[in-house]
Amino acid sequence: MPASRPLVLLAALLLAGGCRRPEVTAYEVPSEKDPDLGLAPATANNTNAGTEAGATAAPAGAPMAGASMADTAVPVAEGPGLAWTAPASWQAKAAGAMRKATYAVPGPGGATGDLSITAFPSDVGGELANVNRWRGQVQLPPVDEAGLAGVVTRWTQSGLSLTAVDFASPSGAQRMLGAIVPYNGGTWFFKLSGPAAAVGPAKADFMAFLHTVRPAQP
Amino acid sequence: MKPLARQFRDFFVSLELTVVLLALGIILIFWATLAQTDLGVWGVQQKFFHSFFVLQRFGGSSFPFPVFPGGYFIGGLLFLNLLAAHVYRFKYTWRKTGIWLAHGGIALLLVGELLSGLWQQESQMTFTEGQTKNYAESFRDNELAIVDTTDPKVDKVVAIPEALLAKGDPIQSPKLPFRVIPKFYTPNSVTVAPALAQGQASSMADQGPPFLRQFVPLPQPVTYKENEKNLPAAYVELDGPEGPIGTWLLAEELVADPSAQPIQMPPQHFDFGGRSWKISLRPTRHYQPYELTLLKVTNDVYPGTNPPIPKNFASRVRIRSDDGRDNREVEIYMNNPLRYRGLTYYQYQMDKASNLSVLEVVSNPSWRLPYVACILVALGLVIQFGLHLFGFAGRRAAARP
Repeated sequence: MPASRPLVLLAALLLAGGCRRPEVTAYEVPSEKDPDLGLAPATANNTNAGTEAGATAAPAGAPMAGASMADTAVPVAEGPGLAWTAPASWQAKAAGAMRKATYAVPGPGGATGDLSITAFPSDVGGELANVNRWRGQVQLPPVDEAGLAGVVTRWTQSGLSLTAVDFASPSGAQRMLGAIVPYNGGTWFFKLSGPAAAVGPAKADFMAFLHTVRPAQP
Repeated sequence: MKPLARQFRDFFVSLELTVVLLALGIILIFWATLAQTDLGVWGVQQKFFHSFFVLQRFGGSSFPFPVFPGGYFIGGLLFLNLLAAHVYRFKYTWRKTGIWLAHGGIALLLVGELLSGLWQQESQMTFTEGQTKNYAESFRDNELAIVDTTDPKVDKVVAIPEALLAKGDPIQSPKLPFRVIPKFYTPNSVTVAPALAQGQASSMADQGPPFLRQFVPLPQPVTYKENEKNLPAAYVELDGPEGPIGTWLLAEELVADPSAQPIQMPPQHFDFGGRSWKISLRPTRHYQPYELTLLKVTNDVYPGTNPPIPKNFASRVRIRSDDGRDNREVEIYMNNPLRYRGLTYYQYQMDKASNLSVLEVVSNPSWRLPYVACILVALGLVIQFGLHLFGFAGRRAAARP
């Protein structure tokens, strides 16, 4: 087919020439200090004093942080796997690969709680380990399997099993509301934490929000 | 003219080629629109339009097969077709000035799209109040940075693109006294503490702070969503003249608590060959010969609105150039970007609670071409239809008794 010959030749030429080859680059910049990352989180088993800078929660400068102007307030959000409806007063922030959604939950007097929704591709150590991880974050002692039933509330909805907790730090300054939702081989965490002045008044909204959690429509 | 050359000319001049290419373009756009559900806008752009061929992997194949002509191929051929038709088929007369101008505009539009695809670079500058930066970071691309920090004043950086890590071949640079051997790489991962890995993987790292080296990357599907970032991870061995130096775990974020904000992985320091080094996997950096300091973020909402309706997002920054020519304050806000030395800084994201601002940094040397192209097409059409209109009106007037 003579008519197709030019096309074939051109295609081969473009295919060969169209690939951009990545290259190693070298340059000099004024000396930079490592970001001041502070200490590793208490939950991270950071017992090794040799950790030079340690590590901590990604600073606000992390690429995904910050509220997009386009989604300053998003009353309904949906992550792959689960969907939910958040109160309109919660301000959505950008999500990440594992962090499916983040909301700033405003409370009275300017106090703000942080609500994070994360999904993890396993059972993450099981319910007891996760509940105790949360208790440790508000300086509460761990519970054993027998004591677990006394600190959680369980219910099912839309084919999901939810386990919710409400923990306050011994001083009463910090509070955490959370829920663990196993789904599709993974585990979803809904955690509202922050000053008790912000989290306490938001409990009714948080519980109503949890009752909207459902499998997302494919 | 030789037969092959004539074949080429006839092929590129033919109107059939135009029709076929337009039809292929319609199919490509339709297919890409459907694919947007899974790939998102960015993924579709890369796969369907900023490529010569749409590549597809079949089954477990690691080699992608070309299955359809891509945007560059169709657009490029259309461009050649248009040029060839004008050279060999169309004869210029003043009455066809409009057609020539309109076609010239279309050709310029095609060239502009090609140049935008090749040259446009988008990155982000993220900083908090008081922070100064002289680089922007890519949202999509990452690099392995090996930095010689021996000189307290200057960092000597060797940046290895993520694509070379993905290839897995040993990497040698004349600036490094060792080879870099990627032992494991995943383009997206959740890198977790051992308690969370639950035996799914074990760490290969034997270098770096013990707290960091015990984390393990769990590969995740690559995301193409517009606001989701892939988080690559790798195990990299450095190999000196006298044998392996060690293996480092490199990731951008670590997860110690699945319900909390991930941990940012810091650069890891080591000494080799009498020099001090640090190694990290980070978003690709684009340095500039000037720095921006974020002075103030302003986030106003209309009072009394719930949910709050944004009224004004603004970042006040100070530009200070290395050559000392600029040292001034600038306000960047919605619809009022900063254009400076070929780059445009748009206000992109903001978090007043942490006094954080994110500027989108866009470099596109060809940004004016679409405007010029549209003006040419409009002018061409006005001239063409104007000539017909005046001709028609003239004949009508002449026909009156």
